[in-house]
Amino acid sequence: MERSFESWEKEVIRCIRCGACQNVCPVFKELQAESTVARGRVKLIRGVISKDLNFTAGLIDKMSLCLMCKACVVNCPSGVKVDKLVEAARKEITAKKGLSPLKNLIFRLVLKNRWVFNTGMRTGRIFQGLIFRKGPNGQGMLPRMSLGIDKRRLLSPLAPKPLKMLYPEVVKVPEATMRVAFFTGCMINYIYTDTGRAVINVLKQNGVEVVIPALQNCCGTPVRINGDYQTAKEMARANIDVLLKEEVDVVVVACGTCGLSLKEEYAELLEDDPIYAEKAKKLGAMIKDFTELVVSLAGFEDKMGCLPIKVTYHDPCHLVRGLKVKEQPRQIIRSIPGLTFEEMSKPDTCCGSAGSFSLYHYELSTKINDHKVESIKQTDAEVLVTGCSACRMHIADGLNRQGVSVQVMHTAQLLEMAYDAKQNKGS
Amino acid sequence: MKPEIIQKLSEIVGKDNLYTTLEDLYCYTYDASFVKADVKKDLAGVAVYPGNTEEVAQILKLANQEMIPVVPRGAGSNVSGGSISVGDCIVLVLKRMNKILEVDRKNLIAVVEPGVITGQLQSEVERVGLFYPPDPASQAFSTMGGNVAECAGGPRGVKYGVTRDYVIGLEVVLPSGEVMNTGGRTIKNVTGYDMTKLFTGSEGTLCVITKIIVKLIPLPEAKSTMMAVFSEIEQACETVSEIIAVGLVPCSLELLDNIYIRNIEEYAKVGLPTEAGAVLLIEVDGDSEILAKQIAKIEQVCQRLGAVQIRIAKTKEEAEELWRARRSAFAAVSRVKPTIIGEDATVPRSSIPIAVRRIQEIAAKYNIIIAILGHAGDGNLHATILTDETNLEEAARVEKAIDEIFIATVELGGSLSGEHGIGRAKSKYITRQTGEVGLEVQHRIKQALDPNNILNPGVMFGV
Repeated sequence: MERSFESWEKEVIRCIRCGACQNVCPVFKELQAESTVARGRVKLIRGVISKDLNFTAGLIDKMSLCLMCKACVVNCPSGVKVDKLVEAARKEITAKKGLSPLKNLIFRLVLKNRWVFNTGMRTGRIFQGLIFRKGPNGQGMLPRMSLGIDKRRLLSPLAPKPLKMLYPEVVKVPEATMRVAFFTGCMINYIYTDTGRAVINVLKQNGVEVVIPALQNCCGTPVRINGDYQTAKEMARANIDVLLKEEVDVVVVACGTCGLSLKEEYAELLEDDPIYAEKAKKLGAMIKDFTELVVSLAGFEDKMGCLPIKVTYHDPCHLVRGLKVKEQPRQIIRSIPGLTFEEMSKPDTCCGSAGSFSLYHYELSTKINDHKVESIKQTDAEVLVTGCSACRMHIADGLNRQGVSVQVMHTAQLLEMAYDAKQNKGS
Repeated sequence: MKPEIIQKLSEIVGKDNLYTTLEDLYCYTYDASFVKADVKKDLAGVAVYPGNTEEVAQILKLANQEMIPVVPRGAGSNVSGGSISVGDCIVLVLKRMNKILEVDRKNLIAVVEPGVITGQLQSEVERVGLFYPPDPASQAFSTMGGNVAECAGGPRGVKYGVTRDYVIGLEVVLPSGEVMNTGGRTIKNVTGYDMTKLFTGSEGTLCVITKIIVKLIPLPEAKSTMMAVFSEIEQACETVSEIIAVGLVPCSLELLDNIYIRNIEEYAKVGLPTEAGAVLLIEVDGDSEILAKQIAKIEQVCQRLGAVQIRIAKTKEEAEELWRARRSAFAAVSRVKPTIIGEDATVPRSSIPIAVRRIQEIAAKYNIIIAILGHAGDGNLHATILTDETNLEEAARVEKAIDEIFIATVELGGSLSGEHGIGRAKSKYITRQTGEVGLEVQHRIKQALDPNNILNPGVMFGV
């Protein structure tokens, strides 16, 4: 039985409206209206359930104003799962009102169908030069004309070739000590292949054989959090089949959002599915973030050379509060010789990206991002390291807007640099 | 609300600082209390966020002319229903006025706007070695304006008093739109009536606070924390009275009953003995040399009165671990039942043992769960009712139980509210404590300052 929207009443009444979420909600920090804080969203959802309110355009807009960053969830004295409630509301909205035509096209045609997605992305690459120009310092690209997105918006170009075309399906190493599957996620496959390359290189050097299953899809999170459960379920089932087929104990991810969906959210999404509920749990137990895997590998520090740079780290929401990975990336960064690690203030506050949120609410998402850029500036770091491609793009955009020359990279890339430093010195 | 009023308000605060949609206004029908506004009747006409005193004055002047109710609001973390919308009102949110204007080390004062978050003021003054002690549980998000309007307290009340003890001057806007200054920057000040104290705790019924002068004290050098476990709650209560009686003043003296202990242990695994009747969490602060001596004396008292286990934190981390138990209290019991009603009836400290017994009897009589967690050191018991608001039959029993708790409190010479305020939640009980004459005098004060009854009508005195 599909869970009814009304059944969430049990969760909404647990909100005692104490207001503690005001302290942590990044959207509320900017907008300040009571309807834009977690407590307000929960009350609005309660209002719909109790039939005080309907899914009007205004209410739908309020539901879209959530980053799903989980800051309120971990800070809530009663443990109200606000993100799940907002998601349930979005699901109900989609069921009642349907998706917008654009979202319908993207979710149901493109993201769901690997072939269409792949072709689109490869064709897109050829034409992107016509509408985008290069960003400053060779980082990213800026729109040449209005696309409905802000002209100042720094986007990263599509990679010349997707990651999956750059590597064989099995990246072999001599005398492998371990074999893992790599769930790349869309951004690493199509845009940030440098992150993907770093993940593979670092694991290879640690004697880990990496399988990159060719048939993996988008994890489905963008589809699910916008309320399209039907498509999300199909995508989840497809990924579960693909990943469970591999003879591996670990599926490594380098994106907290993909990781959380594979680790926990598939099981929730498919809990009523007689066949896939168990399979989803089995897959969930196999998921490890790249940094979790690395720190478990004996001697991963021994291969590091000296990197005399100053680094700070941004905690992606779904990595720190979703997968609960906080210490591992710091452990990796701190163990690099010669490197200075400077913690920024509030490293785990959302950068404002929240995937498609930053496209629909660009102004707001840049305001949220400004605080992140300010915290980064305060540290005087030369490099901002993070564990999520969406954060990477959004923070790079923010730094560009404010003319701050800080390089942005994934933890895997920093580690790859450290390994390279040792090899170059040796050779 | 008439469009021309909204237009005028928009001219005063700017269109970006004004909200009129149903979805926005629906979110001012609640605060942190269990009081519910009737959405059909009590949906605000507009919510405005003024940016300075002048704008507040213009808004109040307009509201007074048009006889429109005004509900002042800070973070909406009020627990007595004092900041929820009423009628076709103006909700006046002061969060944009959020600057710390001054921290004056020579005079040991700070001057702040009402929208400053209490916790922010605290960390700001602590950076320069000063201390603003009032510490309501909401300090991380509640505002100074709200804290002053409600006269908020907190665990440190036992040693340091409450908000009222720190407010020495105010700038307020009266319902007429006139701006008035009370008190000042001096510790001693007996010019005229003490309007500062009158306005502190006036719950938004007499004026809107636009500037606050608080006194500060030097930040205590160190703290020491201990926990004492008792097999019976009576022993713990006696211990509280005894600690006070022998002249010791801890900065916190918190009591947790068995319901809390069991749930905290299940939830947070902090090593509490689940069969214990009560736990006291005690903290002393001051010069580091005297702390050990104070703790030793308290330990003696605890032992004399039958503590079965005493843990004294040797390190900061151990102290933190003990406080983790207290802080997770709420989350722990919220798993038991979906609705949590926190009362804050307060009794003279010597009456704590009997008050606890009465509360337990009332819980048994109405067959509901009432857990007790209290700032026992100042007699402020937080009887916590664990219930399910969707169960209407139980809700009726809960209401009767709350009535009886209030009656018992007043009989014991206590107060209906220690720090939460009367608001709309307890207005029907107020005469029990003030008496007819007391109530009449308060009515006259209200009448004198707010003849049109526009400011927070219904709060304190009912409708």
